[in-house]
Amino acid sequence: MKPTDSHHPLPTARPRGAHLRRVLVRFSIGLLALLAVLPALPGVGDAALFTLTLMLTSVAVAVNWNLTGGFTGYVDFGHAAWFGIGAYTTAILMSLQANGPQIGWAAPPAIILGAVVSGASAAAIGRATMRLKGPYFSIALLGTFVAVREIVRVAGGLTGGGVGLTLPPYLNRPLFYYLELALVTALVAFTWWLRSTRFGAALVAIREDEVGAEMRGIDTTRLKVAVFTFAGFSTGLFGGLWAYQNTFVDPDIAFVEIRTVDAVMGTMLGGLGTVAGPVVGTVVLFWLRELLWAHLLDYHLIAQGVLLIVIVLFLPRGLVGMVDPRGTSITTMWRRWLGRRPRGDEPGKEP
Amino acid sequence: MTALLDARGIVKRFGGLTAVDGVDISVEAGEMVGLIGPNGSGKTTLFDCLSRVSSINSGSIRFDGVDITRHRPHQVARLGLARTFQLIRVYRDLTVSENMELSIQWGRVGTARLFGRTDPATHRRVGSLLEFLLLAHLRDERAGALSGGQRRLLEIGMALMSGPRLVLLDEATSGVNPTLVAEIADRLREVNSNGVGILLVEHNVRFVAELCHRVVVLDRGAKLAEGTPRQIMQDPAVIEAYFGAEGE
Repeated sequence: MKPTDSHHPLPTARPRGAHLRRVLVRFSIGLLALLAVLPALPGVGDAALFTLTLMLTSVAVAVNWNLTGGFTGYVDFGHAAWFGIGAYTTAILMSLQANGPQIGWAAPPAIILGAVVSGASAAAIGRATMRLKGPYFSIALLGTFVAVREIVRVAGGLTGGGVGLTLPPYLNRPLFYYLELALVTALVAFTWWLRSTRFGAALVAIREDEVGAEMRGIDTTRLKVAVFTFAGFSTGLFGGLWAYQNTFVDPDIAFVEIRTVDAVMGTMLGGLGTVAGPVVGTVVLFWLRELLWAHLLDYHLIAQGVLLIVIVLFLPRGLVGMVDPRGTSITTMWRRWLGRRPRGDEPGKEP
Repeated sequence: MTALLDARGIVKRFGGLTAVDGVDISVEAGEMVGLIGPNGSGKTTLFDCLSRVSSINSGSIRFDGVDITRHRPHQVARLGLARTFQLIRVYRDLTVSENMELSIQWGRVGTARLFGRTDPATHRRVGSLLEFLLLAHLRDERAGALSGGQRRLLEIGMALMSGPRLVLLDEATSGVNPTLVAEIADRLREVNSNGVGILLVEHNVRFVAELCHRVVVLDRGAKLAEGTPRQIMQDPAVIEAYFGAEGE
């Protein structure tokens, strides 16, 4: 029996979680050390570093998606829009021209402003759409995503239209790699910390039962929009970084549905609503694609579909969810998404 | 003397159906009021209106002198109005104590403390309330693993966590075994004797008669009768509409 006044974070880890957490922390430190020395290893060239940097970008997008999708239960089907807005803002600022000479911004302020614009867009869209429930919210965000892409395509004077924009090239793969590694580490640490605060607990309360959360005095709208804004900001930041490394953006590569699909799939594979889930899931998904699906050519979509079925049937809580009970499962999320109560939640039902 | 809760002329329509039709209801500080009526008479809908989960078509609601007619649910909760639900709303994937910790007085949590962790005072309050509700031994259980009655108790505990002045209890005894019903009655009486107003919807008429100072009867969305439990039991209109209809 635990002492009644034990001071633990909210919500608490289950008793067996303490040991597991130690193992996970040690593993994470080891992994980070390995990733840190990686560029110095022989045989790791720029191409490999670029691939790893793209993987880190995917991880960041999934971690951000999980903040609203996994913690709060608001399934954002248009998350790639924030990535695209960050990328385009950065590209526009860096490629500004006036009568010939380039007067473009330096990369750091351009990328930061890109993230701010992306966060502000998420705040505005979130305020308008987060009163919608389940599928209505998801569809509204999918619509937002498509609308933003078309606006970018049409507003040719600013965005270069369908032709796109070219950024001043600056190819330093190790720098980008280290920068993204540091940012992703900070982001995951932030998520882990957030989950242990009252704010994080309130987000979970919103996912589990929004009306109940409100009736218990939680200003759900404010918290939902706040976390959505942060997710938009952070994904926009990684969008800007990506644009700079890619040295080119056009509507069809900056705004890609797959980026949202990958974030959703990676999070589900890893474990919805867990801190480590989106990281583990995205890495697994990424390597499955690089190693396996690259050889399947036209069949990779089928492979992805099969993987989704396997997750739903055999891994509803995800890989991390098998050992970390604090997330949620796809089946529960699905029922909530459709506005039904989760199984086993009927009144007066004896377990 | 102004009532703690004072609702007048509450009307709630769903399309062409008038679920609540001009009901006046009030609860004094420290009073326990029962709200009864046949199935579909609008009891839960009225609760939803009072706790601002539902909007109303006309009428006004005042809580402790504040007009809350346009308030949002979290705002009335912060003023000190707590409620439970007919279909139990506990966070089933969280433990009993986590459920309680999530039901703090959020109005007093400033932005800085929003990013803090649970303080020792909250822990002590969780401990003493769980003790009071006979759930102390279950504090580390998942809420989803509790029995129906225990979940009812937990939900009452969550309502009490914020230190409310009025608690609306929706069917606190449905699906609860008789021994636990007596416990719940005892606990409510004690909470009430400490000055917390209680408004409860119940199907269990004996429970209401034993506990409540005053009873309000709804029928088809309108107030049919109001009085002491004894007066209500003898009211021919009530017997006709309620007891007659349900054959109790």
